[in-house]
Amino acid sequence: MKIGVLSTDRPLIWILPLLAMLLAFTVIPLFYNIWLSFHEYAPFKRQLVFVGWENWQLLFSDARMWEALWTTMFYFIVVLSIELGLGMAIALLLDAEEFGFGLLRVLLTLTLVIPPAIVGMMYLLIQDPEFGVLTYVLDTLGILGKSTPILATSSLALWGVMLADIWQWTPFMFLIFLAGLRSLPQEPYEAAMLDGASAFMTFRRITLPLMSKVIAVAVLIRGIDIFRMFDYVFVMTSGGPGTSTYTLSLYSWQQTFSFIKWGYGATLSLFTLIIILVIANLFIALTKVRW
Amino acid sequence: MIARSRASRTLRTFLGWVVVALFVFPLYYWLTIAFKDGNEIFNYPPHVWSFTPTLRNFEEVFGISFGYGFGEQREVLPGGGNWRMAPRLWDSIIVAVMSTALAVSISTLASYALSRMTFRGRHHFVAWILSTRMMPPVAVAIPVFFIYKDIALLDTYTGVILIHALMNLPLAVLLMKSFFDDIPVEIDESALIDGASRWLIFRRVVLPMVKGGMAATAVLCFIFSWTEFLFVLTLTQTGLKTVPVVSSTFVTSTGTAWGSMAALSAAAVIPAFVFILLVQKHLVRGLTLGSIKQ
Repeated sequence: MKIGVLSTDRPLIWILPLLAMLLAFTVIPLFYNIWLSFHEYAPFKRQLVFVGWENWQLLFSDARMWEALWTTMFYFIVVLSIELGLGMAIALLLDAEEFGFGLLRVLLTLTLVIPPAIVGMMYLLIQDPEFGVLTYVLDTLGILGKSTPILATSSLALWGVMLADIWQWTPFMFLIFLAGLRSLPQEPYEAAMLDGASAFMTFRRITLPLMSKVIAVAVLIRGIDIFRMFDYVFVMTSGGPGTSTYTLSLYSWQQTFSFIKWGYGATLSLFTLIIILVIANLFIALTKVRW
Repeated sequence: MIARSRASRTLRTFLGWVVVALFVFPLYYWLTIAFKDGNEIFNYPPHVWSFTPTLRNFEEVFGISFGYGFGEQREVLPGGGNWRMAPRLWDSIIVAVMSTALAVSISTLASYALSRMTFRGRHHFVAWILSTRMMPPVAVAIPVFFIYKDIALLDTYTGVILIHALMNLPLAVLLMKSFFDDIPVEIDESALIDGASRWLIFRRVVLPMVKGGMAATAVLCFIFSWTEFLFVLTLTQTGLKTVPVVSSTFVTSTGTAWGSMAALSAAAVIPAFVFILLVQKHLVRGLTLGSIKQ
């Protein structure tokens, strides 16, 4: 029998294509980005010039960066909490075999496959101040009149964006929690029932601890995506009105491609990367999630 | 199980339906926009339940006549969406299929090694792959834009396919590894003792056993490429554009072609819907990068 190159245990050959991709598209760009963060495009010279630490100094003194960081953090905490709580509530609600619940569970997976940019547009239409269906509902209920367009009001715009995110990704949390609930052992529940524990106590003392790993994984994966969110704000508000919905991702993208601040944009994107890596790795260390 | 009263069961059924209806409603509403004529979209109060359905928007987007007056003179509608956008569906298909094939083949090879072979730094390697998943797309897109500009990959299929494959690699590797981990190592070992080569075991013994897992991985990669926005927005100009990016160009300074946008996205979302229904069994495992098994 002919022995091929992959015949013996030489793992390097098996992982070589992966290694090449990761080197070409994460390591090289990372170093390129670091290099870029010490340069800036000079429009008059039409080339990149070395500026030393200027971009990093600018970053920490840039009020708009701090505002974007705050917006990102606020969005992150609010959206993650709501998706977590709502996802768990819906999972508990639909974890039963009532009429049509099989169908309902499948219907909830559908929001996950729609491009977020298109979901952003859906919510742009739904919240349109002239003919949006949400505008109509809120107007009829007397909560927010037609005179207060959600996405064009500084104090409300971010909530309008959050609505799209929560609508699309609560089902993500729901699906993971439902799978978690269904893999729970029966015995602790039987014991709790014999002890006459209330439904809330059973949830608090049995379900939550048993689900801790599942919850940690869902929070980690969703948290990463929420923190680097770009699509919704890009199509729905472009950061506006004013600067009220700038997230770090959008701010660095705009600095690079709209304002031709290549070096500063790269610095901002690196800063975003560092924050995500720190938070995510802290979270992994604390919760001991393993792959 | 805890015995539940009839009343509480009825309440649960009712609540379940109401909650899911709230989630499905925006989808339904978006679909009605796709079937509404230009003027009816702008009605206030919005026509939600009764409206005059038309295929006009689909004619407009795909350049095909369904007998609703395509090609006839009509009043100018706002926005930039028209049938010239239709070929963009092909761009989406090419990019999604090719990047999925690339990601799945690279990751299948690598995760077999990660699952079966011991080597120094294996855990660090897995951690590195996971941290790749944490990179904000913008931190990749900015340097890759300049690199692509230098090596003439900007605005090309190859460029987008490569970056979409990269984006899906952490998911594909970790997910495939979890499927390989499910298969007992004894199977490989007994075949090795029988004198089979690693490659032969991989091809003939293990690979057929993870076919379902590979299909699930492929579907998820396809969907994430299909729905990706930032990379295509950044790395393409006129050469190609996928559906999410094309849809955003329907918003113009003269107004938005809501009908065309809804029609194009409705058509574009259907294949993803079908695919996700096919992999319900492995969906949660896929969404959690292989860490939670159903």
